[in-house]
Amino acid sequence: MIPKTITVGYDNKVRHVVIGGMEPLAFIGGPCAIENRDHAFRMAELIGAVCAKIDIPWIYKSCYDKDGRSSPDSFHGLGMEDGLAILTEVREAFGIPVVADFSDVAWAQATGEVCDLVQIPAYLCRQTTILRAAAQTGRPIHLKKGQFMSPWNMKNSVRKIEAAGNHQVLLADRGTFFGYNMLVNDFRNFPIMAETGYPVCFDATHSVQLPTSMGDISGGQREFIPYLVRAAAACGINALFMEVHDDPINALSDANTVLDIKYLERILAHAKAAHELRLELLEKWGEDDVHLPS
Amino acid sequence: MSTSQADRRVGEIILPLDRIAVVQPTTLLKTTLETMARFRLGIAAIVDDAGKLSGVFTDGDMRRMLLRDQKPFSALFADDIIRHATRNPTVVGPDASLAHAIALMEEKGIWDLPVVDDTGRLLGLLHLHPAIKAVLGL
Repeated sequence: MIPKTITVGYDNKVRHVVIGGMEPLAFIGGPCAIENRDHAFRMAELIGAVCAKIDIPWIYKSCYDKDGRSSPDSFHGLGMEDGLAILTEVREAFGIPVVADFSDVAWAQATGEVCDLVQIPAYLCRQTTILRAAAQTGRPIHLKKGQFMSPWNMKNSVRKIEAAGNHQVLLADRGTFFGYNMLVNDFRNFPIMAETGYPVCFDATHSVQLPTSMGDISGGQREFIPYLVRAAAACGINALFMEVHDDPINALSDANTVLDIKYLERILAHAKAAHELRLELLEKWGEDDVHLPS
Repeated sequence: MSTSQADRRVGEIILPLDRIAVVQPTTLLKTTLETMARFRLGIAAIVDDAGKLSGVFTDGDMRRMLLRDQKPFSALFADDIIRHATRNPTVVGPDASLAHAIALMEEKGIWDLPVVDDTGRLLGLLHLHPAIKAVLGL
């Protein structure tokens, strides 16, 4: 099967990012939630400097509505109108493609008008109306595997998107439930989801989440992020997703899992090197075709 | 075997497309099995968008698959059928004689022959039982 690539970026105001095949590893990252305009800009500046230094293609991620929070008291987001306005400003000021998710079909069109990549939250990954709405934006879709889903059944969600006329999908693993309040990463998920032909992504910061483990919020074990990132990049991914913050303790969303910006350069350097080494090995020794059913 | 009966053409007695399991390369294994069960045949013909034969999936393919591919049933069921198919199956044209077709089935150890035209488009299926009945004049 010829692997597909997706191109993120719909106009010339941003640097386009091609994801998949033998392309360089792409980074999707930013603060989990858009907290305010100044913070969004500060994070774009800080992350942009790291990505430029590492020389890694980057898509800015931040969401305007956090519909999956554990508590009614948690920060829910700035709302679509204000959030998308800030994303538009970030996009044009820094020349970088942007991504946000949406959890209501009524928000799909507006999200697609601003965002270069539209994201489907993992909990909604098999909701037909959401998938169809995402497909109809015409933008590439970042589809996260639900924590409750098998990797092979993600094909059904992909087929729903394709049935709506969209053939640009990036499939992400963000961990799989291992009992209650606990996620694990099954690295077989990457080659299995890649059988769809679409590129795959590792969401490192959500993978270390301990969902709603702290009563009314989610905990996390971000000390494992570097290990999981190296493992995923060596296994075979096309993009790496991480939420990044300059003040994790005071982050308004996912404070227990977001990566402190001070570690970003190191993690991205490891990920990029592991990705490049993998491509070199494949070039030298051939594809991973051990005992494939004939 | 009556010579005149054995000289009958395959095209005269093939099962038409609406009486056999016809699926696409991306049809799930689970759906393919359901389709095969509905038509009570041990074979599904796999055709592309143009109606050309891409392969076949048979009960024999399933036996070999189960012994070889030891992933969970839930994963197998979600596979595209083409992954487990015989991609270059033995076929016969509609103008071939029944004698030739039956000899071919014996040689290959199979019970069904997809019937295709000159361009590879699927026309139907020659099943052994109707072929024998035709040869016997039944």
